[in-house]
Amino acid sequence: MRMKKRGFMEISFAWLFAIIAGAVILVLAIFAATKIINIGQYSTGAQTQNQIAVLLNPLETSFQTGEVTSIGITQNTRIYNQCDDASGIFGNQIISTSQQSLGKWSTPTNGAAFQNKYIFSGNVVEGQQFYLFSKPFDFPFKISDVIYMTSSLTNYCFVNPPSNIQDELTKLNEQNLQLTNDTQTCPGTSLKVCFSGEKCDINVNYVRGTVSQSSSNNSTVLFYGDALMYGAIFSDKTVYECQLKRLMERETQLSSLYIDKANTISKIGCNSNLISDLTQLGSMSNSFAGSASINGLASFTNKIQQENDMSGSAGSCKLW
Amino acid sequence: MQAMVVIKMKTKRGQLKIQQMTIMLLAVTLFFVLAGMLVLVTQVSSLKAKSTIIQSDNAKLLVSKISDSPEFSCGSSFGTDMGSCVDADKVFNLKNLISEYGNGNFWGVEGLQIRKIYPDNNQTECTSSNFPNCDVITLIPGNGTGVSNFVSLCGEYNLNGQIFSRCDLAKVIVSYTGS
Repeated sequence: MRMKKRGFMEISFAWLFAIIAGAVILVLAIFAATKIINIGQYSTGAQTQNQIAVLLNPLETSFQTGEVTSIGITQNTRIYNQCDDASGIFGNQIISTSQQSLGKWSTPTNGAAFQNKYIFSGNVVEGQQFYLFSKPFDFPFKISDVIYMTSSLTNYCFVNPPSNIQDELTKLNEQNLQLTNDTQTCPGTSLKVCFSGEKCDINVNYVRGTVSQSSSNNSTVLFYGDALMYGAIFSDKTVYECQLKRLMERETQLSSLYIDKANTISKIGCNSNLISDLTQLGSMSNSFAGSASINGLASFTNKIQQENDMSGSAGSCKLW
Repeated sequence: MQAMVVIKMKTKRGQLKIQQMTIMLLAVTLFFVLAGMLVLVTQVSSLKAKSTIIQSDNAKLLVSKISDSPEFSCGSSFGTDMGSCVDADKVFNLKNLISEYGNGNFWGVEGLQIRKIYPDNNQTECTSSNFPNCDVITLIPGNGTGVSNFVSLCGEYNLNGQIFSRCDLAKVIVSYTGS
């Protein structure tokens, strides 16, 4: 009986070896396959993030006109908008992506950094279709084109905006931006952007230059001009404040470029009386703390713009 | 004695089987490793090709729009609003500040040059003192593949005590690494 029992349990060494070695090979193969799939997903994400960045180039505008484009991606994608105002002279716009495959989101890519792009959007924008439009930000000279990115999954309902905003939104013809005169006619799932003092998801005081969002405990940010107003509407407070700081960092550099230009053209007899103002503007923008101090800077830039507009007569040249 | 011969024979046959299996397992493992390496090599080379395509697309799109960047654009400084126009007076000074722009990292390019098309002035490098009698403004010397776009290159100059604005047809050449 004992002998029979031992025989029942007995496994030859060959079988044991084959089972262990086979298991090891299988585990290694599964591990390698998983890694390859992850790397594949990551590389697709990295390609997507770079392609998105390339598509942002045509959004550079000549003058007061806005540019519109859309990006369609076959897979459901999350675009992470990270703004870094601390590194280097101009800070960085970092775009990373994560894509959904078999119901699972891939690890976000490391991110591509761009010094000359300013994207206003939420921290994470999700969808397959993304709408982008841009506007030049002049303060007083052109600082850059700012880009607004929204997903087709998020609808914005603009209630009673000023006529110039109405005209602009009509021309943009973006499917996720609607215009109406009454909050009741807004689609149920849309974010209501109100200009007339109602309690909405986003409240804009166009005269005072403030935007408050209910999603961020009604904290208010200040804006100057339509370009920044759209920025405050479409982005989170942290992204808005960070991009504004980066724009001011570029303003500091451009001020110094215009001072150099003024010195160059003064050698051929083309004088500009803006050098001291531009020096002051450069130091003000360099110490820019946040949107709360935008109005003080704006009144100074208006004065500089008037002086530049008056130039252009004999012996005096316009700088921009 | 007979029993010992049988046991030895059995052990030898068993050892042979294990050796066969080991060789087989090694062969299978080697096959998987080689197949994996082949997949990796293919993926890396296709990734490199895609990266070059992205860089080339970036350069092509950038060169068509770089003149509207505030560091280059004329704006209204020559009387009216001018698009696709490069302000030479700005660019001369930008050349001195180019290290602050990361020698092209700011725009993501390897090289950046503005070349006047006509008249020919023996490939003279432009400065604020010899403008407009010059040909090239080299902002970032680059050896990569170049893509170009036509622009107006405008600047102020003094002729017999009078200040004139002059615009010439020029090419902006952006170069990137890769072929």
